[in-house]
Amino acid sequence: MESVSRNLRPGPFTSRILGRRWLSPTAFELRLDRPSGFDFQPGQRVRLASGPDERDYSIAAAPADPEVVLCIRRVAGGALSEWLATAGIGTAISCSGPHGYFTFKPSPRPAIFVATGTGVAPFVSMAKAGAEGFMLLHGVRRAEDLFYRDLLSAAARRYMACLSQGAPDAPEVLTGRVTRHLERLVPPGACDFYLCGRGEMIRDVTWRIDERFSGSRVYSEIFY
Amino acid sequence: MKIYTGSGDRGKTSLFSGERVGKDNDRIEAYGDLDELNAVIGALCAGLPEAPPDRRAELQAIQSDLFRIGAWLATTPGAPEAESLPPLDPGRSVWLEGAIDCMQEDLSPLTAFILPGGHPSAAWAHVARTVCRRVERRVVRLAGGSSPGEAEAPLGRAMIYLNRLSDYLFVFARHCNRWHGIADTPWKA
Repeated sequence: MESVSRNLRPGPFTSRILGRRWLSPTAFELRLDRPSGFDFQPGQRVRLASGPDERDYSIAAAPADPEVVLCIRRVAGGALSEWLATAGIGTAISCSGPHGYFTFKPSPRPAIFVATGTGVAPFVSMAKAGAEGFMLLHGVRRAEDLFYRDLLSAAARRYMACLSQGAPDAPEVLTGRVTRHLERLVPPGACDFYLCGRGEMIRDVTWRIDERFSGSRVYSEIFY
Repeated sequence: MKIYTGSGDRGKTSLFSGERVGKDNDRIEAYGDLDELNAVIGALCAGLPEAPPDRRAELQAIQSDLFRIGAWLATTPGAPEAESLPPLDPGRSVWLEGAIDCMQEDLSPLTAFILPGGHPSAAWAHVARTVCRRVERRVVRLAGGSSPGEAEAPLGRAMIYLNRLSDYLFVFARHCNRWHGIADTPWKA
């Protein structure tokens, strides 16, 4: 795991689409050409632009990887995701970055990662970069949305998936919201919580942390 | 696009260094007042559409400085997150001194206290000055009321900057009045 550096100033660059892999019917992994000198920390974002529209996406690659990998949910009518879901290989994209401070900070406290949907992307980057010993709760609709399940369950001290629809297919898969299971799976005490996903999840989990996990640190990244 | 989560609806918020604190915490008070200062300087700047571009650029540079200070105020000294923050450059206080000296050259020496006011831009500059002094007091409280140690060194640099900025805003107010042909009003005891 690399430490946080001061080199966080974003810069503009042009990249090209190298490949696309569908992770589920609504989410895909986009591989982008990585220009030399583009350095980032696990958990940071890259900003993509198409005309006046800009969107930030968390990087799901390790800093040592040769390409920039993004995990994107296709949003019906979305300003960028629809285009990114269909643009041809080789298409040029205006980018800037890296952005953000949602980076892993090792500490003596247990690290608890909580994600919903494609909000798991920064944790994928952290796991690929060598983060270990963390607990991850990944909330999704169906089991098919559990992207990177093998990678994350191998890196995590404990990996738990929470489905809002469908039946569990393994002991580490539960039904219900992550908020509900957090209290049962994590003993009370001070932890470092990293929350990435929908605003409602971040709100509900943060409230639980305030009630039950006194002395904790909370780092959050909202996915829209 | 939603910018709200509602996670702060119960009166707590997260520092940049991750700790959950009440919204009346000394750090929140400090960077909240700093935010107010930045907004007042924005109002001052907006009220000076005819100001020379370099003077407006000066105010906007100060606003950027305040953002940098705000990040440090939101971070517990010694926290690992401090490693990712841009350092506070002591040269910025020296830069303010140069700007003060430059404006002072055109001003007559003060022989009495002056009433805050005059042209609206000068009045805003005085409001900004008083808010700046409040921020300075908040930062002094965070630093424990004494000279900061190694971990609190950025607070020490912020204190110097804010002290100098208050002087800058006082001189800026007089500069605005002179520029608009309005004499300072002396206090009559």
